[in-house]
Parts: sequence; C-alpha cells; structure tokens
Amino acid sequence: MNDDGTLLRLDGIQKWFGDNHVLRGIDLSIVPKEVVVIIGPSGSGKSTLLRTINLLEEPTEGKVFFNGVELTDIRTNLNEARTHMGMVFQQFNLFPHLTAIGNITLALIKVLGLSKEEAMERGREQLGHVGLAEREDSYPSQLSGGQQQRVAIARALAMRPTMMLFDEVTSALDPELVNEVLQVMKNLASEGMTMAVVTHEMGFAREVGTRLLFMDDGVVVEEGKPTEVFAAPKHERTQAFLSQVL
Amino acid sequence: MGATTATALAPPDRGWRYHLRHQTPWSRTVLAAGILVNLFFFIGTIAVLSSYGWSRVCPEGATRIECAPSDPLAAGLKSAALGTVATIALIASIVVMVVGFASLRRMPTRSAKEAVITGAAIASQSIFLPALLLWFRGTDVDRFARNFLNLSIIGRKAGVAWDSVTSSVGSILALALIWAAVVGALVGAYAWWRKTGIRPVVIGAIGGLAGGTLWGLLDLSNVPSFIKGAQNTLILSAAGAALGFGLGLVLALFTMSSRRVVRAPARIYINFFRGTPLIWQLSFAGIGLVPALRLNLSMYAIAILVLGLNLAAYSAEVYRAGIQSLERGQIEAARSVGLTYFQSMRFVVVPQAIRRVIPPLLNEFVILIKDTSLVSILGLTVAQKELLGISRDIYSSSFDATAWLGAALGYLIITIPMIRVVTIVERKLRSGLTSVIG
Ligand SMILES: Nc1ncnc2c1ncn2[C@@H]1O[C@H](COP(=O)(O)OP(=O)(O)O)[C@@H](O)[C@H]1O
Ligand SMILES: [Mg+2]
Repeated sequence: MNDDGTLLRLDGIQKWFGDNHVLRGIDLSIVPKEVVVIIGPSGSGKSTLLRTINLLEEPTEGKVFFNGVELTDIRTNLNEARTHMGMVFQQFNLFPHLTAIGNITLALIKVLGLSKEEAMERGREQLGHVGLAEREDSYPSQLSGGQQQRVAIARALAMRPTMMLFDEVTSALDPELVNEVLQVMKNLASEGMTMAVVTHEMGFAREVGTRLLFMDDGVVVEEGKPTEVFAAPKHERTQAFLSQVL
Repeated sequence: MGATTATALAPPDRGWRYHLRHQTPWSRTVLAAGILVNLFFFIGTIAVLSSYGWSRVCPEGATRIECAPSDPLAAGLKSAALGTVATIALIASIVVMVVGFASLRRMPTRSAKEAVITGAAIASQSIFLPALLLWFRGTDVDRFARNFLNLSIIGRKAGVAWDSVTSSVGSILALALIWAAVVGALVGAYAWWRKTGIRPVVIGAIGGLAGGTLWGLLDLSNVPSFIKGAQNTLILSAAGAALGFGLGLVLALFTMSSRRVVRAPARIYINFFRGTPLIWQLSFAGIGLVPALRLNLSMYAIAILVLGLNLAAYSAEVYRAGIQSLERGQIEAARSVGLTYFQSMRFVVVPQAIRRVIPPLLNEFVILIKDTSLVSILGLTVAQKELLGISRDIYSSSFDATAWLGAALGYLIITIPMIRVVTIVERKLRSGLTSVIG
C-alpha cells in the first residue's frame, strides 16, 4: 500500500505518441478491494491508461505509485513490480507454442523461481479456479476463445498479484462465450481482488463495479458510483455515450 | 468432447482403382498410346546410343581430332537409326496429342477425361524432345561431343578407387564406429532429457554409422576428384552456416534494440555485407587483409569466416522479419508477467519465430552452397578445392569442358534434396499442424 492508503496512485499522467496527445492529465487513486470500471469511446485512451499502470507504456509525464513504490522512478525494478499486477488483454495473447499449463508455469518458474512441481501444482489449482482443470495439456489453438481468455486470466492470477488489470477482455469473444469469462471476473471481485477493468459490458459495470470512470479524449470526464452515473450522468459527453451503448 | 450421435460416413474412395473402373476403351487407348510413344522414344534413343557406345578409351598422345572419348556417342547421335526413332516418335506423339485433345469433350466420365488429358500431355513431351534432338543433329555434333560429352572423365574423376577401399576397410570401419558412438551419445542425451525412449538413439547411431562410412570413403578419394570437391563444398557451407546462422540471430536482436548506439553498428555491418559482392569480400580478406596483417590463418579458414560473416548479414534480416511478424501482444504478455526482455525473447519470441524463419533460412543455405564456388578465387590447395575449383582444375589440365558438367552434377546432388526439404517444411508449416503439435 502507498503512504496515503491507496494501492495505486496516478499523478498527472500525460502521454504523447509523437504529436498525438493521448492522455491529457490523469489523476487516479485506487484503494484495495476496489473494482474500478473504465468506459469510454474507442480511441479515448483507455488501453493506454491501463498500460501505463504497469508501465508497458511509459508515461511522458507524471508519476505512478504502486504498493509504496514509485514505478516511474527509473531505479525501480519493473519486472519485479509487474509480478504484483496481473494483466489480461483483449486478444488473449496466450503463447501459442505452449500448452495451457505451460503458459501459466513459464513465469512461475522463470520469474518467481518455483520448482517445476510447485509451478505445476499452482498452475493446476488456477486452471481449476477458472473451470479448465481438464484442459491443461491443450494448446491455445485447441481452445475456444472463452477458454483461452480464462487461461489468460489463470496465467495472471497464478502470480498471486495484488491487483488485476483487464483490457476489454470480452470484446473479441463470440456473444455466447462472454458470460463464462465475466463469471470468472465476478468471482474474483467477490474474493476481494483489486481490479481496474476497461469494458463495454455495462451490466457487469453496474453489478460489480465499485466506481465508474468515463473517459473521453484522454481525460476522465466523469466518475462516480456506477448506478448513479448510469441513472443520472452529469456531463453531456457521458450522456451522449451512454445513450448509444445502453 | 461429446459423443457424436450420427454415424460418421467415410469419404468416398476415389483412389486409382476407382478411376480405372470408370474408363472407356478409347480413354484407355489414348493413355496407353501416350505412355508407349514416350517409352518408345526414350528406350529407342538409349538403345541406339548404347549400340554405338557411350565413350571409348583413346591411346596416349592422340589428339582430340584423331580420337576423342566421345566419338562413339557422337556417331550414335548422328546415326540414321536415331533419326528414324526421333521422327517416328515425333509423328506418333503429334497424332496421339491431337486425337486425344479432339476427343476430350466426348468422354463420359471425369476419370476418362483425366486419362485422356494425361495421355495427351505425356505425348506432348515426346514431341518436344525428339524435335530438339532432330534440330541438334543438324548442328556440329562432332565438335560439341568432343568438348562436352566425354562422359568417361566424370567417372574417372569421381574419386574413389575400389582397391583403395578394400585396403582400408579397417580404418573406415573405425571411423564409422566413432561417428555412430558420438551421434548415438548425443541423441541419447537428448532422449534422456526429453524422455523419448530408445528408438531415436538407435536411429541416430545407424545414421552416424552410415555418415561415418561415407566420410571414410570420401577421405580415400584421390585428388583432384569430384567427390573431394563435393566434400569441401559441404564442409565450407556447413561451417559457414553454423557461424552465419548463430551470429545472424545476435545481429537481428541488435537491430531491434530501441537504442540507436546498439542498432547502428549492427545496421552498418548488415548493409556493408549485403551491399558489397561476396567475391569482393573474399578477395579483400584473403588477398588483401590477411597477407597485409600477417594473420596466421589458412585460406580455408578465411573462406569459412567470410562465408559465415556474409550469411550472418542475410540471415539477420530473415530473423528480424520472423520476429517482427509476431504480434506485439506476445511480448507485452510476456513482460506483463514479469519476464525480462531477454527472457521474453528466449522463451516466447524466439521459439515462435524459429518456425517462421526455418524455410527462408534453408533457402539462404541453398544459396550459400552455391556461393561456396566463389572461394575458388582464393587459391586454395588442391585438397581444399570445392566443386567448381576442382572442375576448373580438371578443365585446365585436360581442356575438356565435360568437367563443368561434373561440377553441375555435384551441385545438383547436394542442392536438390535441400530444395525438397525446404518445400516439405514449408508445406508442413503452412498446414498449421506444427502449432498444434507444439
Ligand atoms: N503504440 C502506439 N503508438 C502510437 N499511437 C498509439 C499507440 N497506442 C495507442 N495509440 C493511439 O492512442 C490513442 C488511444 O488509443 P487507446 O488507448 O488504444 O484507446 P482505447 O483503448 O480507448 O480505444 C489512439 O489514437 C491510438 O491510435
Ligand atoms: Mg483499447
């Protein structure tokens, strides 16, 4: 935890891609067990924001504090810090040359230094957790999209992270596979995992989110309790966006 | 996986038996005629040429005009009998082809139609070759044969004499056993590590035994011979490939660095080696640099070094393209679980990229095999010469251009299997099977 009781704090984040000003001053604090849902139109900078949290993108300006460490300090060991933050991607990004269990155990062995047996045990436990105990020897190409995404979640969870980042994890799925993935995320939230979730699933946002951020054009336009924002959006850009998606 | 309720139907059997059953007498006739006219041409030609003989032994000191080893072959090529064979084959195959294509649309079944097309296509081949032969007979056959068709020289310079084999069976056997032991042990270690059982070890040992025997035979070959040349071509290209493919991967990683100071030297290296001719690199190193710096390096080592350094530049580009063809998400996922840059490369990127780069790398290897011919400018000793150097030697001592045919034969024997391998690997990778098998 940081000094101020937050788990994650972003201070004045600015991000340029060349001349493209993608994040225009983002301040964000997340306390333990919060589920922060981020919504907004495509291209508004949601993914970039999520990726600056674990420094997959380096912010051009601003600071990121996580668990008492300043990640934007160049002396910080990012590889170590990233083991405490699990990330799940829209395109799953499973390693196609490894089996489901191989995907999970790779970092356990190479990063955490677990023995092969310990890693396998933890990997199996996580696969069971996402309901795929039977499929440990399957390659990603042999799994459905929903199953792949659940393996990806298991891969992140196996590191025993303090926080999880989800970037539109159901957007690439066929409609009938969305629920199995959302269910896993709901369980995770109910177990008290701190989460930052970029999503277009408004039902999920309302049900699971403890806080909702609406982003547009690189800034957080509006935030509040999901039910309140959905019921009475204050900002007209939020109103316009919600009227399209709800 | 749920049980299937409907009984699965096997696909209909459309093997050759099926096609044979669906022929008409006419389609059978056309197919048979196409094959027969071809056989007639090839067997007839070989028979006529054999009756005259393929080469002969000439007395010492006889000039090429008085007696050439190719004389019987030339006589056979000019003979009236061969002319008759070619003419008959030509006319017959024109008839088969025309009749075949004309009756095509009246065939009642697909199988019959295919048979007629096949017959006509085969026949068209024995139009082209006899026509070429008839044209060739109108040129100066004697002169051509004297220069290019002394086939005995290829046999004589092939290399291994039977009595030297029988006298050194012991040493060949010893060498072969050492090879078998080494390969067997290596495969055994791998098998033990991957727990694959004994079979690959046995196969490896047998392969080692065969390779060792071959190598022992090659060592016996008297110089200059084509076999010796082929051996050197193989050594040069294998050693060059080992160096080039390894260094190329390192270079590729350098060119992808986000830091210019790492990227720039690698780029300069690559552009230099891709931008200057290999023959210049060989001459500069072997004829310029080494004597000037008084380096204690044999020309053979220089040749391997330069070939390897050159290949490294080309293979670096291949690796880079392979690595960059992976989605960005792969390395992001790897970094997000805490793997370092090099761990991500080693465990995630390279294993995937390797599959994509194998076919183009094999192509580079085939090119390298042919490029070894350029080392002949380095003035290697006779025992170090590769195929082209050997054939040049043989040509300059005998003034017999047939030597060049021997070299071509040698290159083809080496490269055609390689090209086959490239095709097979490409097909395998394309089918997507490897990503399933892992
Ligand atoms: N690696 C990158 N390089 C250049 N521009 C980028 C990169 N990643 C994202 N962008 C740009 O940043 C903007 C925001 O993208 P993104 O964060 O993916 O939006 P969202 O996830 O909200 O759809 C877009 O205009 C996109 O083109
Ligand atoms: Mg996005």
